[in-house]
Amino acid sequence: MNIKNYLLVLIAASLSFTSCSDDFLSDPSPTSSVNSAVVFSSKAGVEAFISGIHRRARAQYDNTHGGGLYSMYMARSVKANDVIQDLTWFLWDYDHTYRAPTYGRTKFNWEFPYYMINQANIGIKGLNESDLSQADKDELMSQFLGLRGFYYFQLALEYNHHPSYNDKAAAPPIYTEPATDSKAMSTITELFTQIKSDLNTASQLASETRINKTYLNKHVIEGFKARVHLYLREYAEAEASAAAARDGFSMNAAQYEGQDDMSADEVIWAMAQTSDQTNYYYIAPHAFTDHSQDAYYGTFFNDDFVNLFSATDVRNTFYAAYTLNPALYYRWVSSKWNFAFTSDMILMRAPEMLLIEAEAKARQGKADAATLLFELQSNRDADALASGNTAQDLIDEIMVERRKELYCEIGVEWFDAKRLRTGMPRTGNHRVTLSSDPIVADDKRFILCIPQAEIDANDLIDDSINSDRI
Amino acid sequence: MKTKINQILTSLLFLFGIVAFAQQTVTGTVSDESGNPLPGATVNILNSAIATTADFNGSYTISANQGDVLVASFVGFKNASIEVTSGAQDFVLSASTELDEVVVVGYGSTTKESLVHSVASIDGETIEKTQATSLTQALQGTVSGVTVLTSGGVPGSGQTIRIRGIGSINASASPLIVVDGVIFNGSINAIPQEQVESISVLKDASAAVYGSRGSNGVVIINTKKGARNSEGSFTFSTSFGTASEAVDMHPVLDADTYTKYYWEAMVNSYQYEDGETNADARTLASANIVDALGYNPYGTGVNSPISTDGTLVGSPLWDTDWHGALVNTSAIRRNNTMSYSGGSDKSNYFISLNYLHEEGQVKTTWFDRLSLRSNFETNINDELSWGLNTAYSNTVNNTPTQSGSGYANVIQWINTVPSIYPIYRRSENGDYVLDNGGNKIFDYGNSLGNVNASRTILTGENTVGSYEYYKFMNNSYSLNANTYMSYVFNDNLNFKSTLSYGRSTGSAFSYVHYLYGYASTVDGRVSQDRDITTTLTTQQQLNYNKSFDKHNIDANLIYENYALKFDSMGAQGIGFLPNVEVLNGSTKPESVSGAISEERLESYIARLSYNYNETYFLEGSFRRDGSSRFAEDVRWGDFFSAGGSWILSNESFIKDIALIDFLKLRASYGEVGNNRGIGYFPYMQLFVTGWNNIDNTGVLSGSVADPMLSWEKTSITNVGLDFGIGNRISGALEYYSKESIDLIYDKPLAISTGNESITTNVGSIKNSGIEISLDANIIKSDDLNFDFGFNLSTNKNEITELTQEEFISGTKKWMVGKSLYDWFIREWAGVDPEDGYGMWYKDTLDADGNITGRETTKDYSEATRYYIDDKSSLPKYTGGITAKLNYKNFDFSTLLYFSLGSYQYDSQYASLMSGMERNDQGHPDLVNRWQQPGDVTDVPLLLNTSNDFNATSTRFLYKNDWGRVKSLSLGYTFDDEVNNRLKTQSIRVFLQGDNLFTLTSKDGIDPEQTISGLTGSRSYQLKTISLGLNIKI
Repeated sequence: MNIKNYLLVLIAASLSFTSCSDDFLSDPSPTSSVNSAVVFSSKAGVEAFISGIHRRARAQYDNTHGGGLYSMYMARSVKANDVIQDLTWFLWDYDHTYRAPTYGRTKFNWEFPYYMINQANIGIKGLNESDLSQADKDELMSQFLGLRGFYYFQLALEYNHHPSYNDKAAAPPIYTEPATDSKAMSTITELFTQIKSDLNTASQLASETRINKTYLNKHVIEGFKARVHLYLREYAEAEASAAAARDGFSMNAAQYEGQDDMSADEVIWAMAQTSDQTNYYYIAPHAFTDHSQDAYYGTFFNDDFVNLFSATDVRNTFYAAYTLNPALYYRWVSSKWNFAFTSDMILMRAPEMLLIEAEAKARQGKADAATLLFELQSNRDADALASGNTAQDLIDEIMVERRKELYCEIGVEWFDAKRLRTGMPRTGNHRVTLSSDPIVADDKRFILCIPQAEIDANDLIDDSINSDRI
Repeated sequence: MKTKINQILTSLLFLFGIVAFAQQTVTGTVSDESGNPLPGATVNILNSAIATTADFNGSYTISANQGDVLVASFVGFKNASIEVTSGAQDFVLSASTELDEVVVVGYGSTTKESLVHSVASIDGETIEKTQATSLTQALQGTVSGVTVLTSGGVPGSGQTIRIRGIGSINASASPLIVVDGVIFNGSINAIPQEQVESISVLKDASAAVYGSRGSNGVVIINTKKGARNSEGSFTFSTSFGTASEAVDMHPVLDADTYTKYYWEAMVNSYQYEDGETNADARTLASANIVDALGYNPYGTGVNSPISTDGTLVGSPLWDTDWHGALVNTSAIRRNNTMSYSGGSDKSNYFISLNYLHEEGQVKTTWFDRLSLRSNFETNINDELSWGLNTAYSNTVNNTPTQSGSGYANVIQWINTVPSIYPIYRRSENGDYVLDNGGNKIFDYGNSLGNVNASRTILTGENTVGSYEYYKFMNNSYSLNANTYMSYVFNDNLNFKSTLSYGRSTGSAFSYVHYLYGYASTVDGRVSQDRDITTTLTTQQQLNYNKSFDKHNIDANLIYENYALKFDSMGAQGIGFLPNVEVLNGSTKPESVSGAISEERLESYIARLSYNYNETYFLEGSFRRDGSSRFAEDVRWGDFFSAGGSWILSNESFIKDIALIDFLKLRASYGEVGNNRGIGYFPYMQLFVTGWNNIDNTGVLSGSVADPMLSWEKTSITNVGLDFGIGNRISGALEYYSKESIDLIYDKPLAISTGNESITTNVGSIKNSGIEISLDANIIKSDDLNFDFGFNLSTNKNEITELTQEEFISGTKKWMVGKSLYDWFIREWAGVDPEDGYGMWYKDTLDADGNITGRETTKDYSEATRYYIDDKSSLPKYTGGITAKLNYKNFDFSTLLYFSLGSYQYDSQYASLMSGMERNDQGHPDLVNRWQQPGDVTDVPLLLNTSNDFNATSTRFLYKNDWGRVKSLSLGYTFDDEVNNRLKTQSIRVFLQGDNLFTLTSKDGIDPEQTISGLTGSRSYQLKTISLGLNIKI
């Protein structure tokens, strides 16, 4: 072989590389991701997307008190009077000191709903552009719209007072399609218009069927509407939606204690867990309220609250695990929730809807409100006697009944104080009494500041947005 | 796959073909300038693999063609070359200087004299003088402009290396690592220092030959080779050492002090927060302290151990020394290496086996390494040579959690859990609780009971129990094979084809106990991960050089393909019987995972060097890279460098100045790229799998992506002056400026869009600084030799372009004109002497929102964050001092590294100074706390209520000036007499100290933490004293 031959080989070699270099660089492709064409080309593909959204809502987002939807509910539960939180996760929510622009609660409660809203917007856009049948599109669209309305409602609750406080108050920005450009603050009136529009359309498109109780169907969306209308004091609509939501769900007192299973009769909407799909110790309230399992031992109940229950009430799940001294904040613990890595988190139960229906009737002066209330009371306590209350007394009784039924579930006291614009004074054996500075009606501590991270990256919102929030 | 086969075939194509030329025998001698023969000198034919060695009389014999150029070389002498004109050719070699030193650069090597760039190198001898379990530790203090940080005391853990500042924000800022000419993807701790010949660091645009991946500098490691024409020699070296913390941890409170302080904190809370009278507050504190602590080490059960006047009833039954229970104060280090190397006139070889065992600061932490390397080269014939470098290594380590905020982190535990909590369970009255077998039971603080049962901090954990019961094993093995063939066309032209294959398997295993700890509720958990990384690199390199008159040309053309495949798999299961610790015993699977990722890079490289009369040097290089990490339209990037140097001392006007031995001016400019640390497909927005909901497959839309994302580029300017004075002093002075253009940057988006950021090319950072290095030979005599070295570097980091006016990144704020690492936190204003509460500063504003001044506030959330007098977590000066002393048979050497002017935030100290806010451990400095109105102190009152006193502020920001004697070695080499008797070549015994002394401006914390100046409850580095022996036979 002489030099010429070598050079020829060299040239040939270079050519052979060049000829395959396009393949060489284009060959690698992602193995654990798919593109949007795959997702929106079939009903199963879109259902996979919706499944992913529901899974994300119960995953571990930031940390234990910023984990997912369940931790937003838990934070609300520890803010009022019936629940006492120990020096563990959620302690600053309990202290009402976790709301400044740079704090984790402030950012999580903003970022998480908006993350979900963006996913819903991607779904809505993709679905509109897809070739699926109209029936499939409707059923799937109702779920995306339902989720979007639900999460905008969460933002309205966390970052605004009741619209009656100031119906022009600056409210979280509204996005109805995927975006990278930021938007300015809306008003609380605009925000509720969007929420109602989303939920109404969702309700019209929704079907009864669903994969399991972690998904949205007609009942869940009506449940969302019932909560929104109750919040807005639209009692006729609240009554109708609550009735539609709980239609077909029976009550079962035997399943009240030790809740951990979405298949329970009363459960309308839940987040399920299995041993291979678990949040471990993030699960709230279970990992905090259950003192019989190794977890945080973090949540206790106010002596005054425990005293509201009769001994024969199934909801009286309280016992003294550590002390009999009524002055100590850790006297009462509850067995309402069972903690295990496989425990389901319950998001909506039929009794809540019954109570909305009863309250709405009572506030409209309808006669059968008391009957409806007693339906629940007698189910919970075989020895219960009807109070015979009417008018405001009946409403007051329902308000107490809501606390007794829903404690440590949806932040019931906080929700009710916000919509009725009352305070949340602390009594009994609290760890932090707030005695020198109790939460009063329309207290700033009912809302969070707008997160600094949003202000920093959003040209249309500046620091002044927090001047009346701090 | 087709492509791979093509590459292999092409490489092999060049490996065959033998050409013969007519030859004659040439003989002669090699001698020095005084006429003394130089036995062992090498004579080879230029640009061929043919070589021979001079015998005892300096005579050699070689077969060569008329017209061939013969080159004679010998250690310590300059090479000499002669064109073959007759059968007898004699060489006279003149003594070489430092300038003839060979420096390894990208895709080749050059001499120190002809460098136009900033390339630092350290030799094998220096490398062996520090015990660098992770090889890159050897760069600390020895090379100017290179920051090396070892975070934590896990043996074998990697370093954070930054060359000339930090030039990337979201992409990787680490240098590229190249081993024996090939990009290295393995773990650096798999390469024993005993097998390394040299390390070079490309600091400036010389990295442009590595194009897309060179912008953060390149570290080139070359392993040892045998010498041609040398008898095989066997080297055995061994060392044995013991180690303890290099820096003492923060002291903590004993049980008595803790209990008293806690009581005081409760009194203060009742009195100042709840408005009780002092008398009532004392009564309440005494009544409730056992409930609050959960434990009572004074044996009085539920009854208070402390009276209303703060007096304790007696001495504690236990006063747990967590540090003593968890820290290894005599960690062992054993290192043994056996090597055999040598060569004939046609082949050379180096074979080495190394075994290392090293223990860490935290008990049961250890690292084991077995490494085998074989480097072999041979001439197949006059034109063709073949080389094969093979390395196999296996590292195994057990590493209990020792950084971060996980409950089981041992260091956090020592700084968090007070001594009043026991290691073993205690009954109400303080007796041990025993199991059925009569053994003590570890206390996880989660039992039911009134007292001595449940604690509120780190509940459900006990690190003494966990290091006994948990297992965290990593086992990785890697094989790297690198083979090349080179063919010499003629004196001017040769071709080299290289194929390199690497495969490393990392395997991680953890077992969390079925009965104790955080997996006890699921009866134990086993997790196993196994990742396989495969890399295949091929290089075709054509080299040309030519000298005519006084012109010298050197040119390289290189084509390179690089392919990486990462294949991961993991499984996790729960529900185990006692003593069953493998997945087969799992009753429920918890998770399975697996993915394959691939990356490719295709490159064309050209480099041309020219010099005139070895006085004026010019060099230019160009590289074009295509990367699979970017979309097709934007994946190709062009990178280049150009540089020149002028040896002033060759000019007549300097030559006559006797004092100046050498003077060289050099300058270079180039643009280099970066595509690392951004994931495999950063330009695609995709739906991510794995979000399954019960039985339904689930996907989620991934983060928003910029489809046009492309290379991050850095323009690098370097100007340097090299000098030699009076045959004694040599050194270099350099200025550099690096500006990153089109940073790969996570541009923040308004989080209301549902996206946190988008990765795009925007923004710019500049790094600039000066580097000085000096080496002085202070004493030089037959018996005594003393060398002293010093280097110093400065770096200024500056943001020159951002997408938004400012951006707060944790404890820093980014603004144009500021550094990435300038602290931006609240400013501590001390303690109010009236009430003992902590204060911070806040701006006062007028009606229009303009700042009019500042005042103090006791509300942390109101306090304003400030740039703190331009205090930065980056040091202003870093450098090293070396000293080498040889006296007769004794040798002594030391290396000191120093870092000045940085500021560090000690969150561990902050936690210890929380003042009994919760049930956390405290620091003895709490003795200075505020106790009554009028006390002037910087430590607030103790308060058992939520407060912000120890929240992030300048209260815990400290100047972090430090120096560390990294190595200190004292050796004795035996006389020839001993060698003759023992039939050895040499024997050296040595005593070695690593990290023996650390001088810090802040006690209690290892000064080496992170670039960002944040501590993270990391284990501490060790100081080691070893005794060693090195025998050469």
